[in-house]
Amino acid sequence: MQIKRIITIAAAALMAASSLTACSTGDATPTEVTVVTHDSAVFTDEVIAAFKAETGITIKQIKAGDAGAMTNKLVLTKDAPIGDAFFGIDNTFGGVALDNQIIDGELTAVDFGDVCLNYDKNWFAAKALAAPTTIADLIKPAYKGLTVVSNPTSSSPGLAFLAATVSVYGQNGFEQYWQDLKNNGVKVAAGWEDAYFTDFSGSSGKGAYPIVLSYSSSPAFEVREDGISQTASINDGCFRQIEYAGVLKNAKNKSAAEKLVKFLTEKTFQKSLPDSMYVYPVDTSVALPEAWAKWAPAATKPVGEELSISANRKTWLEQWSAIFSAN
Amino acid sequence: MKRLALWAGPLLFVAVLFYWPLGSIIGVGLSGDWLQTLVAPQVSSAIWFTLWQAALSTAICIVLGIPGAYVLYRKRFSGQKLLRAIITVPLVLPTIVVAISFSSFRGLPPILLIIVAHVFVNYSIAVRTIGGVWATIDNETEEAAELAGAGRFRTLISITLPQLKTAVVSAGALIFLFCATSYGIILILGGGLVNSVETEIASAATLFLDLPKAAALAILQTLLTIAAFAFSESITKGAIGIEQVDEGGPRPQLDKRDWLATAVTFTTIALLTLMPILVVLVRAFVHADGGLGLANFVNLAGRGDRDLLNISVGQAALNTLRNVSISTTISITLGTFSAYLLSRPIRGKRVFAQKFVNRVLDIGLLLPMGISSVVLGFGFLITFGGGPLPLRSSWLIVPLVQALMALPLVIRLVYPALISIGNDHREAASTAGANAGQTWWHIESRMIRTVIVTAIGYALVVSIGEFGAASLLAYGDQATLPTVLYALISRPGSTNYGMAMAVTAILISMTFVLVSAVSFRKKPQHRPSQNAVS
Repeated sequence: MQIKRIITIAAAALMAASSLTACSTGDATPTEVTVVTHDSAVFTDEVIAAFKAETGITIKQIKAGDAGAMTNKLVLTKDAPIGDAFFGIDNTFGGVALDNQIIDGELTAVDFGDVCLNYDKNWFAAKALAAPTTIADLIKPAYKGLTVVSNPTSSSPGLAFLAATVSVYGQNGFEQYWQDLKNNGVKVAAGWEDAYFTDFSGSSGKGAYPIVLSYSSSPAFEVREDGISQTASINDGCFRQIEYAGVLKNAKNKSAAEKLVKFLTEKTFQKSLPDSMYVYPVDTSVALPEAWAKWAPAATKPVGEELSISANRKTWLEQWSAIFSAN
Repeated sequence: MKRLALWAGPLLFVAVLFYWPLGSIIGVGLSGDWLQTLVAPQVSSAIWFTLWQAALSTAICIVLGIPGAYVLYRKRFSGQKLLRAIITVPLVLPTIVVAISFSSFRGLPPILLIIVAHVFVNYSIAVRTIGGVWATIDNETEEAAELAGAGRFRTLISITLPQLKTAVVSAGALIFLFCATSYGIILILGGGLVNSVETEIASAATLFLDLPKAAALAILQTLLTIAAFAFSESITKGAIGIEQVDEGGPRPQLDKRDWLATAVTFTTIALLTLMPILVVLVRAFVHADGGLGLANFVNLAGRGDRDLLNISVGQAALNTLRNVSISTTISITLGTFSAYLLSRPIRGKRVFAQKFVNRVLDIGLLLPMGISSVVLGFGFLITFGGGPLPLRSSWLIVPLVQALMALPLVIRLVYPALISIGNDHREAASTAGANAGQTWWHIESRMIRTVIVTAIGYALVVSIGEFGAASLLAYGDQATLPTVLYALISRPGSTNYGMAMAVTAILISMTFVLVSAVSFRKKPQHRPSQNAVS
């Protein structure tokens, strides 16, 4: 008897503990919507206030790593989702989201950004060396030890560039390109921030590498006091990342999530995108900031649209890791 | 029967939170093509790396630890206690803090850095374990050997080392275990290019959603740790612990003839222990723009550059504080209770059967110690996501997983202490009319008070620094101090790097103060027997 009672009490206690957070369901008029994003997503105070004024709902943001880590977290937690909506799953991970059925409805495009190599104009001017113009230049001896990229297994621009090389050099040729890059002294940083802020010579870290994997928009943020950007983007081998938003399956506040996704495609939010997230609004009628026209034009011929990334990502990354693994 | 009923609490806790997730992992692991997984080139190279780096780190710790044990425990000099405290600091620091401390040297080859960081953490295990035994060996045999003309080196090899063998093996197995299950250090210092079993488990689960692969590796990792653990147990019979220090006997003053051991030890402490710590302490005051000042500390009130974090570092510290108070309360209560039940004398019939049951219970409760926190976090993720017990969506999941990890340690500390105090007092109390509860409260719990305090310390250390499981289970506003630190160090732009340095400096300073307080406190007159802590 006693055993049974203790077990019952203990089980009841565990159950009660686990349901503590599940009590807030069933509210007819939601006042808060939880949106899961990647670490670089920003909702400015104006955006949050505008959504509140329009709908009465407060945006609560949960950052969950980079686009890949965030997508996978959403898959692993899909039975009891950690939010109502998501923003920032991109076209390299959209397939994972769809295959695993974490989305209620469809993927809604919100913005895009072009992953391109950037270089430090001052560095090349000082060395009287012509700056590279294609990604094929990076494996030439003249550019030995000058490039830093980010790890494709742990960073979304890194994965985008890996996809770009598959598109340019083909399934059978991209490994050779990376082997050549490695032989030419490419540095692989863990993430975009490491590469851009620590290793790149043209930004705040004043590192040792004058060529960095970044975005076509990055030069707009390196404009110096003379009104000229210290960096430029290489308009070759660029990969266009399209970022999506959507409602999560089993969301507690589905209606609020739907309102938020719609709001993200509307003018107020679209206008905030360039300055707060360095990306281009999907709504082309939204005017870009002045500096962007001059220093941050989108890529003219992005590559990689034809690839089926979710089906091949694992294989490509394994092939890449075989070349770069330190052990 | 009554005793079985009392067992229900601890057993239910371990069954639900450990054996159920373990079962899920085994189920998922065996459902896939596990053999194919384990022989894939990248996986086998990760397994091989895990083994050799752990073996090499262990060997270096032992080689440096033997002279260290001699100088810091066999001999005597002023400042000795301070040095003992200093080398203990790295052992109790959260591993993420260690990784951040060494991230300043990221220009060096990553594998070298990982091994140095592992030696940094585990050096004191070797020194303390070997030193604890060395301090108790009497000098006479050694002196006789020297009088008979044996050189110092020969005396060391043929007389002293054989007596230290058990301590060396015990320390070695423990260090190997820690290095083989190391996660945060390899993750951060490897820059994503170094793969161990542990990082492969995490990346299979969180990057590739390849649950069968993660589970197969988790099973392998568990077998590996259990083997290391069983090996250590079989050699040492659980008789040696890192808290075992006999301050009783007089120890000779350090003299000129000890120059080699002294030089090795002082150099090790200066370069291996102090240098990385000093670098962090300095960098905590260096701003992103190169100036000096307190800006990094001021920034801790915020959420990092472009509001990277979901909550401020201060709020994460509060989460950690809340989690560790809950997890420590649970692990101390259940652990002490289990130890108490295990230590009850066996009477009446079927002694053999009862002994057998006790042994099974003992092992069953200790097994969670053989599981790495990444494996446990992964098990929780696949077990408590939905289903009958959707714990994952509750913040309690993190303190519960931490309590589970600390529980075996607590039992390991308290059980031998309870055995060592014997039965006389209990019989006396019983004769005087006290019931079991009164006896426990008024007599036994007081006799083992120092051990319980030590157990609380260990439980706190385990919970505060726990990163592997929290990185898989703590989302959004539930971030803990280690997960926030990881977010900051992996997004090092502008203010974030400095903030990570500032938190690291604060944690190192706090740890140093606590460790010093413990090492310099007055020892109680009657310490529990040496075997008490193992």
